[in-house]
Amino acid sequence: MDNEKKKILIVDDNENLVTVLVDKFSKSGFETLGAVNGEDGLKKALEFHPDIILLDLVMPVMDGLGMLKQLREDVWGKTAKVMILTLLDDAGYVANAMDANVLGYIVKTDLSLDGIVKQIKTVLKII
Amino acid sequence: MPPAKSFFKNLLYSFIVLILLLGILFLSRSFIEKVVSNPLDYFKSPLSATDIYFSAVFIALIVIAVLFSYIVYLLLGYKTRFDLEIWSATKDTALSKEQFKKLYESAPVPYILLDKEATIHNPNKAALRFFGVLPEEIEGKNIFSYIAGEDRGPAEKMFQYYKSSMPINRKEMDMVTKSGEVRSVQLSIFEMKNPGSFSTTGLAMIFDITEQKMLDKAKTEFVSLASHQLRTPLATTKWLTEMLVSGDIGELSPKQSEYLDKLHTANEDMVDLVDVLLNVSRIEMGSLSVDLKPTNVEELTESILNELAFLVDKKKIQVKKEYNGLLKDIKSDPKLLRIVIQNLVSNALKYTPIGGTVTISFEERGNEKRIKVSDTGFGIPKSQQSKIFTKLFRADNVRQLTDSQGTGLGLYLVKSVVASIGGSINFVSEENKGSTFTITL
Repeated sequence: MDNEKKKILIVDDNENLVTVLVDKFSKSGFETLGAVNGEDGLKKALEFHPDIILLDLVMPVMDGLGMLKQLREDVWGKTAKVMILTLLDDAGYVANAMDANVLGYIVKTDLSLDGIVKQIKTVLKII
Repeated sequence: MPPAKSFFKNLLYSFIVLILLLGILFLSRSFIEKVVSNPLDYFKSPLSATDIYFSAVFIALIVIAVLFSYIVYLLLGYKTRFDLEIWSATKDTALSKEQFKKLYESAPVPYILLDKEATIHNPNKAALRFFGVLPEEIEGKNIFSYIAGEDRGPAEKMFQYYKSSMPINRKEMDMVTKSGEVRSVQLSIFEMKNPGSFSTTGLAMIFDITEQKMLDKAKTEFVSLASHQLRTPLATTKWLTEMLVSGDIGELSPKQSEYLDKLHTANEDMVDLVDVLLNVSRIEMGSLSVDLKPTNVEELTESILNELAFLVDKKKIQVKKEYNGLLKDIKSDPKLLRIVIQNLVSNALKYTPIGGTVTISFEERGNEKRIKVSDTGFGIPKSQQSKIFTKLFRADNVRQLTDSQGTGLGLYLVKSVVASIGGSINFVSEENKGSTFTITL
């Protein structure tokens, strides 16, 4: 495992979800940051340059797709790793996000917390 | 009988009668002549021949005059009746013309008459309302110029269709009104042959389906929204519980762990229930979209078994896989097929006693592809087999099982989903021996 802590940004409008994910990832050895909407998420992403962003799609103020679009316009953001965190099994919605060059998507109710951590670690190649 | 026809028949009869009468007069002429030439022989009367001659001619003339006037009377009578018939027929036509006009004018559906260049004539009130225009603003314009969109291609195509007399029947398109609003419509144009001339015209009907489309959209959006709102708290509960169970934030007492496990299970059941309910509402609202693509049924089944592994272990069920190397690349909707297989396999596991066997086998016969799920379970009572796909129905023998919390929606959902992906489902079952469900795609 890398000595340097990996940074993860979690963007979701449900504060409870952000709290539990932030706790879990912190316990799992990540440097974790939470944001509650796309605007907030975008600001934090561009500031902290996380190694990976877990992004919800349906959010107030600025939704996930909106944030993704703006993120991709940034020099750093163009290649930032993004994983979609969704509840929707709405294929169209996810397909739109997949177009914006994301690593994949996690359906919230499908995976356990450990499962999510494992998946993120696999994606970041730290296990 | 039509009035004209009976008139001619009656006229014919009157003529026959007239000719008969004239014939009788003609035949009786010789008799009259004899009487006239020698009246004394017949009447032994002292009257002179000239006296009788006058009376006889006079009587004959009267008879003829009476007959003639009678015929004239008959003819006049028929003529009057005929005129009356014509008059009432004309009145009827005028009335039905008036009714037709009224119907056309005040019909709730926009109607427009078109000439052969598809130019608008005589739009009815609904049409004026639909386009939001006055008659003079729309008359003389081409109907296809109202098709929405920058690209005139589709409008041009429709125009060619119309000119070549091809039928346009409930063609869905967007039309733009005067205010610039775009409305979804179904356009139908019927060709009308004009009596007495070779020219044809069209009757266009515009069905405004904008509201209907919006309703459909609202329905789909409702399910998406409900799905989101219902699942968010479930996902949160799931993860918060997991966090506690894992001991990451402090050790729990055994009792606390046990309760949290129960909470976790209840929450997982809730997740499943919400999934089923949302799928059922999608089916019932007709907003289930089918997306056919290459599907590996073996992979799908393996991932389902993976998810259900805990149940297989818990009930020590032997799962036999008879894939036979088939169904690795079929055209289907993997997401929907997943719902179907998941339900059948989890039913088989749920309703089979500990230590039983569940067999999943694939078969291919010609074009038919079959997925079979059999179990050595409780089976379905014969008397209730006909109701098994009914919504909210649960068989009596499984309702008594304390550890099974079925919703009675699973097989209803399965049947609807199978139908929507173009397949069929049937089963054989015997109580206390087991059931076999077969999907044919």
